[in-house]
Amino acid sequence: MRKKERKWIVLFLLPVCLLFVVFFAVPLGMVFVQSLFDYRLLPNKFEFIGFGNYAKLFLRDPKFLPVLKNTLLWILIHCIGHVALGSALAFVLYKKPRGWKFVRVVYMIPNIISQSAIAMIFVNMYNPQFGAVNQFLKAIGLEKLMHNWLFDMSTAFPAITMTWFLFAGYTTTLVLAQCLSTDETVIEAARVDGASGFQIDRLVMFPLVKEMIGTTVIMAATYMLQMFSMIYITTGGGPGSATTNLPLYLYSNMKSNNYGYASTIGVVIIIVGFLTMRIIQRIFGMNKEEVA
Amino acid sequence: MKTKKILSIALAAAMTLSLGVVSSTVFADEIVINYPTFQVGSNSAAPVVAELVDEFNEIYAGQYKIVVEDVPGDQNYADKIKVQITSGQLPPVCYGAGYKLLDMALGADLVVDITDAVNADPDWAAMFDENWEAVDCRDGKIYAASSESEKIGYFYNKELYEQAGIEPATTWDEFFANCEALKEAGITPIAMDTADGAWCTQLLLGAMIATSGDEGLEFMKSMYPTDYSIQPVVDAITRIQEFYTNYTTMDANGGAYENAANNFFSGNVAMICNGPWMIGDFSDTSKAPEGFADKVGVAIFPGGFVYDSPIEGMFVTKQDDPALEEAAIAMVKFFTSADAQQKALEMQGMVPAAKTVEITDAAKESFPLLADFIDQAAGASVSTATFTGGMVPGLEDLWSTELPNLASGAYTPEELCQILTDFATENAVTE
Repeated sequence: MRKKERKWIVLFLLPVCLLFVVFFAVPLGMVFVQSLFDYRLLPNKFEFIGFGNYAKLFLRDPKFLPVLKNTLLWILIHCIGHVALGSALAFVLYKKPRGWKFVRVVYMIPNIISQSAIAMIFVNMYNPQFGAVNQFLKAIGLEKLMHNWLFDMSTAFPAITMTWFLFAGYTTTLVLAQCLSTDETVIEAARVDGASGFQIDRLVMFPLVKEMIGTTVIMAATYMLQMFSMIYITTGGGPGSATTNLPLYLYSNMKSNNYGYASTIGVVIIIVGFLTMRIIQRIFGMNKEEVA
Repeated sequence: MKTKKILSIALAAAMTLSLGVVSSTVFADEIVINYPTFQVGSNSAAPVVAELVDEFNEIYAGQYKIVVEDVPGDQNYADKIKVQITSGQLPPVCYGAGYKLLDMALGADLVVDITDAVNADPDWAAMFDENWEAVDCRDGKIYAASSESEKIGYFYNKELYEQAGIEPATTWDEFFANCEALKEAGITPIAMDTADGAWCTQLLLGAMIATSGDEGLEFMKSMYPTDYSIQPVVDAITRIQEFYTNYTTMDANGGAYENAANNFFSGNVAMICNGPWMIGDFSDTSKAPEGFADKVGVAIFPGGFVYDSPIEGMFVTKQDDPALEEAAIAMVKFFTSADAQQKALEMQGMVPAAKTVEITDAAKESFPLLADFIDQAAGASVSTATFTGGMVPGLEDLWSTELPNLASGAYTPEELCQILTDFATENAVTE
């Protein structure tokens, strides 16, 4: 019987495994192999250089560390600030204050608009000549604070961050769903024991939704690791490398026909992604059953 | 039941037979040239390409047939061709445009030498002058043929010029004096940009470098230069920084060509550097106000400079079937013929690549600004290709992302030049 079951399991898993190998594992392996070559179209080159690209990336490329720093900083900001914002709103909404459903829907809207459209909205808002931000500052007499927000070294990074930071609709929706599915008798019991609203949130609700928050943190981290279009459309990674992240840096190297070097950056993105996931899982105590 | 069976067999037989007949009438002996192109849809050259394809298919009916594959967006087209170069499978005819695709395809040994085909036709061969050879030939062999030329000066708003009491400058000192006069009259002198290769800005920069003396001219004439720290480039970039600070709009830093063009169309600035393909936009009321075209004048750059270089043309790629290569050569010849260039000029105001193509009265009547510009350009004493056109692959993107730091004053001109030099040296293209 068990043998028969195993046969079926193998049979059902086979297509997925095959697809994974063909469309994911093999290309991944090719990216790694390509990263060991000096591979360009102009001048046409395909030369094995071992870990030469890695040595250049970590030791001689002055752009790489700022780019890595930007990527990690954005992951950190998104995982902490963005998720905290979305979770805090979920903690307010699960108590079902007046208009909570309306807020839940409205807060989700920016997340369903395409990134390109959001990016264009911000490009116009930040426009130094006609943009709403500078016009507002001018209107309230703060001309001194007017900036070329997206292209001034000192403001570009925070200006880009604001294009996605506030829109934590997914986090709110997921955490709120988890909060609402919690057994109300648990909350009621805490209330009978004399716990305050804040104590219930902190000591009862938070531990119950911790894993879901962990999931949203993973989502936030992957979102930031994949972030491309918003930066590409607004600043293109500039000024200098002030707003370049790893995916954009990979793309710019690919556009320079430096395919080997771009693959090296691809491998680094995979490693950074893997390490980030492991750290988040450890912090939130996820996959404990697997460990046990 | 039996009747049904018979009927179905008869139907199947009829369908198979008709398929055979159709394929024999449509495909027998006719060679299909699949032609991916970005010159479709809203691209200004789309009507010309569509007409040429129709004409070619009519003339060569039963022998060759072009099937167009739409690839909207020139950058998408360049990316597609680059990927195909890596796989070694290119469409029979490719258009180099401004993306150095010819050199990439040559590097992968995928291009057909068309020297013999060109030399066999004296009219075609006559088109290959010195400028054309620099763009389409390598080591004395002809690999591509151009149909369009990049002839560029700058446009100015005659009304705003009149308000400031100025005339188009013939020297750079006069040009700066004009900018100062415009500024004093409360008019922003020139449209600039930094994004997407900083097209308008790099035109102004290149013109200053090319007219600075022999060293600058040699730099502008060289393909894939690696030293951007030479004095003429540093001096010109210093002036560009002054333009960003004093003579352009606030949104120039970070803005793309579209922002610059909008500023010119809306009368926010008095000048914009760009090519004749912009002329049609002046009378397009969805882009510019009614009657704007009448306010626009055109001039060549100070120092008698004009950008004048054929755009890298069409090339034939190596195919398994020699007959397909022959068909592709016929297509390139047709698309780059004097007639085709004449048609492109009259239909869309596209400047012909070949000097042998006459600018007809019909074209002059349809595009008077173009005619005026071509007349002025004929008297230019210095001409080169564009500043970014000669850059090593990838440098244009770097230039575009680093330029905002020059505009904001975060970099000195020397620092920016050093960054360009470092990248160009690291990614040098040696012939």
